[in-house]
Amino acid sequence: MHFKKKLSRSNLLRGGVAALALAAATSMATIARADTVTLVETGSSLLYPLFNIWVPAFTTAHPGIQLTTTSTGSGAGIAESIKGLVQIGASDAYLSDGMVAKNPNMLSIPLAISAQSINYNLPGLDGHHLKLSGPVLAGIYSGSITKWNDPKIQAMNPGVALPDHVIIPIHRVDGSGDTFIFSQYLDKSTPSWHNSVGYGTSISWPAVQGGLGANGNPGMVSAASQNPYSIAYIGVSFKSEIAKAGLGTAELKNASGDFVMLTHKTVSAAAAARVGKTPKDERISLVFAKGAEAYPIINYEYAIINTSQPDAGTAKAVRTFLTWALTTGNEYKYVSQVNFLPLPPAVVSLSKAQIARVQ
Amino acid sequence: MVFRPFRTSLLVLALLIPAALGAVVLFLAIYAGDAFTFNGLRFIFGTVWDLGNLYGNPVTVRGVSVPLGAHYGVLVFIIGTLLSSFIAILIALPLSVGCAIFLAEQVPEKFRPVLAMLVELVAVVPSVVFGLWGVAVLVPFIAKDIGPALSATLGFLPFFAGGDTGSGYGLLAASMVLALMITPIIATTLLDALLQVPRENREAAFALGATHFEVVSKAMMPMVRTTLVGGVVLALGRALGETMAVLMVSGGAINILPHNIYSPVSTIASFIVSQLDSAEQDPTNMAIKSLAEIALVLFVITLAVNAGARLFTTGVANVRNAK
Amino acid sequence: MSATLNRPRRTGHERRRTLSAALGWAACALALVLVIGPLLDIVYVVAARGLSAFSIGLFTTVTNGTGGGLLNAITGTIILSLGALVVAVPVGVGAGIYLSEYGTNRLGSGIRFLSDVLTGTPSIVLGYFSYIVFVTWLGWDFSVLAGSITLAILIVPYLARITELALRQVPNNMREAGFALGAREPTVVFKIVLPMAAPGVITGILLALAISVGETAPLIYTAGWSNYQWNGHLTNSPIGYLTYVIWSFINEPSDSAHALAFAAALIVMLVVLAINIGVRLVVRRKKPG
Repeated sequence: MHFKKKLSRSNLLRGGVAALALAAATSMATIARADTVTLVETGSSLLYPLFNIWVPAFTTAHPGIQLTTTSTGSGAGIAESIKGLVQIGASDAYLSDGMVAKNPNMLSIPLAISAQSINYNLPGLDGHHLKLSGPVLAGIYSGSITKWNDPKIQAMNPGVALPDHVIIPIHRVDGSGDTFIFSQYLDKSTPSWHNSVGYGTSISWPAVQGGLGANGNPGMVSAASQNPYSIAYIGVSFKSEIAKAGLGTAELKNASGDFVMLTHKTVSAAAAARVGKTPKDERISLVFAKGAEAYPIINYEYAIINTSQPDAGTAKAVRTFLTWALTTGNEYKYVSQVNFLPLPPAVVSLSKAQIARVQ
Repeated sequence: MVFRPFRTSLLVLALLIPAALGAVVLFLAIYAGDAFTFNGLRFIFGTVWDLGNLYGNPVTVRGVSVPLGAHYGVLVFIIGTLLSSFIAILIALPLSVGCAIFLAEQVPEKFRPVLAMLVELVAVVPSVVFGLWGVAVLVPFIAKDIGPALSATLGFLPFFAGGDTGSGYGLLAASMVLALMITPIIATTLLDALLQVPRENREAAFALGATHFEVVSKAMMPMVRTTLVGGVVLALGRALGETMAVLMVSGGAINILPHNIYSPVSTIASFIVSQLDSAEQDPTNMAIKSLAEIALVLFVITLAVNAGARLFTTGVANVRNAK
Repeated sequence: MSATLNRPRRTGHERRRTLSAALGWAACALALVLVIGPLLDIVYVVAARGLSAFSIGLFTTVTNGTGGGLLNAITGTIILSLGALVVAVPVGVGAGIYLSEYGTNRLGSGIRFLSDVLTGTPSIVLGYFSYIVFVTWLGWDFSVLAGSITLAILIVPYLARITELALRQVPNNMREAGFALGAREPTVVFKIVLPMAAPGVITGILLALAISVGETAPLIYTAGWSNYQWNGHLTNSPIGYLTYVIWSFINEPSDSAHALAFAAALIVMLVVLAINIGVRLVVRRKKPG
């Protein structure tokens, strides 16, 4: 609040420093290639692997555009795109109403569909797909369900010899889109979680004795594999790491009351259930969709884009890249490398309509 | 007073250091702004850190617009910072004293530079590489061996008890990594001091019939006590602010105080890194302002440590001068 | 009275003394092993996994997604670190000279105190400060200048302290001899004190260089990252660096990303260790009289 005032008072200083910097910068003999446009992407660590698969293919097809990708987190992707530090912000979550109200020229454009698995390390049972539900997971993560042989878990898994051992719930320490969609699943399926914790990229985890924080998806995989009797939520791009670590994957209860495994078919079913409901600004949660086949924890991966780019050349490059990502980039051979799904055609056309607004 | 341009220009350069510190503190304080009024003292004594509902409409609390349910309490992280650094010093102190004494007194002069160098090199390994090693080697080792062994031998002490010694990630791992990172700082300052003890003092002790070890422990160590304290303070400064390595092995506790040495913890520095991203999604900016405020808390802590050490060392120096 | 005279009548007290001495030495030796052992293990672990990724391409091509080489990161780290030194050396060494030569007053101890506090400031806080001030307010965006200045703030207190310590070791009678010959303050400092303390000061500069090469946290929000070679702009243009690769690529699912992360870790570690070992080999630790 007092910040702005103080700043204008020290404009002199700012001018001086900037002039110095400018002098130094211009004194360097720089040959900027006028025909090259540089785009910088930052944000979501979930979308990052896909961007890295895109970069070589895209820059080969469009040699005039240099594309740099960085993994910082969805929050940074949103904030830096708003500030104009980057042209493309990557986020696992769409912009909140508050953000849109404050920054009406920011767009949330879906680029692909991602999903999340619930994994556990249960000696002897890792090959078995345990059935779990949102309320049970909420119980585990809030400390009301503490043992694997809790009656609530046993009731869903009749005949399975569940161990009499304390559960170690593992959550992400860093802000993450995985936390966002996982907590959204708990929020939408469990009223008590909705009323106490809610959802977000980093939430106020209830104090659970023995609970553990891990850093990034690799941290989740390694923490889960090192801790017998632990449970974790892990992004689908880490499917092969999960398999390598020998972790079990749970079938999850969806909004229709069915238990479903994470497969291409169930993710498509969930996406199909929400495609028709996707609004023009495409800000919608895909979590906990209705349908017997619908896998409950999936989401759109977003590009957060400013409609007014610094110059026409940059705006054209942004449009070129986003259009490429939605067409060539959405081909199965690219997205399947990180176990994502291509966007349904109806969503692609919504996204294209939004891209046209970037000037 | 005569104007001395040479001295003055050097002074200006020297003053840039406090100026940089002042600028950092000032900008953070300005940036934190109304976080002070919103948080009040609950900030220091609260144990719950909750960003609130970032997807709902902001509400106005105490005259400030914040997300619904937002509450920022940092006691957990203050305690995590102090405890991990304190335990790190407890581990590092005997290690460094042992290293320094052994290098000064037992290692032949020919090999001393090489071994001393190896000890110093421990401190230069980049934090993020330490973190990599901590995750790959130290954490599993603590989970499988060190934790259970400590629980079995020291379990009668309250802080070491615990049938379940956890995953390896936690206070002990953080403290051990920190201890490794700071041991060279203490050890090398101590080694330098030990090597500077005048030959006469050593020989006088030998002449009194002391064993070699007694010469070191009873005659030489008291002479270098001030240097030792100085080294410990330097080390503490590094430990309190250490970020990456701690982030990777501490288990990242939130909303829960450590109940034993195996518990997950978070330090202020590692918490700032892990929360910065989520905080940027808060449309009211209160989360990011509160992070600026917690950074200021860390300043106050390092300030207090350094001030305390300064009082202590000048006290010792005065005693010595009086002699 | 030497120990040999007493040997025939060794008392229990004496045996305890020799035993405790033996135990004491053993504990000291163990401490040394406990400190050096992890270092060797770190070098081994990183080298074992990093070497497999080494190839000509690693040093000649730029990063492409999470594959390719590390050329852009290597040059970026060099540029950022040298930039930091350009800013930090005059300030740090100057401050060190002031503290050593004229800093015995209260002002000097005040500066020393605040310098220690700055040393204790977590690098992420400095990084965030720079993000607020340089990157967004001054509008430099992610850039060499923002990254280098942040690193400079980080290493200045170290430089000042090491310079001060080095200068203090120059015997006072050297200064007095200079003044006796009629030399003025700058002459005494630059022609007598600084040359004598040069090994110490150079050590400090090189160690500061090693610190900048190994830093991560202050650069994430100031230097950004770039897949391409630096384009020569001091501002408004991000730049790559090695520690980013370690911190970020290790979190990626692909094997090529992990290989690059360990290769980067190995390069950073080799550079840092080489600087530190080189410094110590060239500048032999002077044996205090």
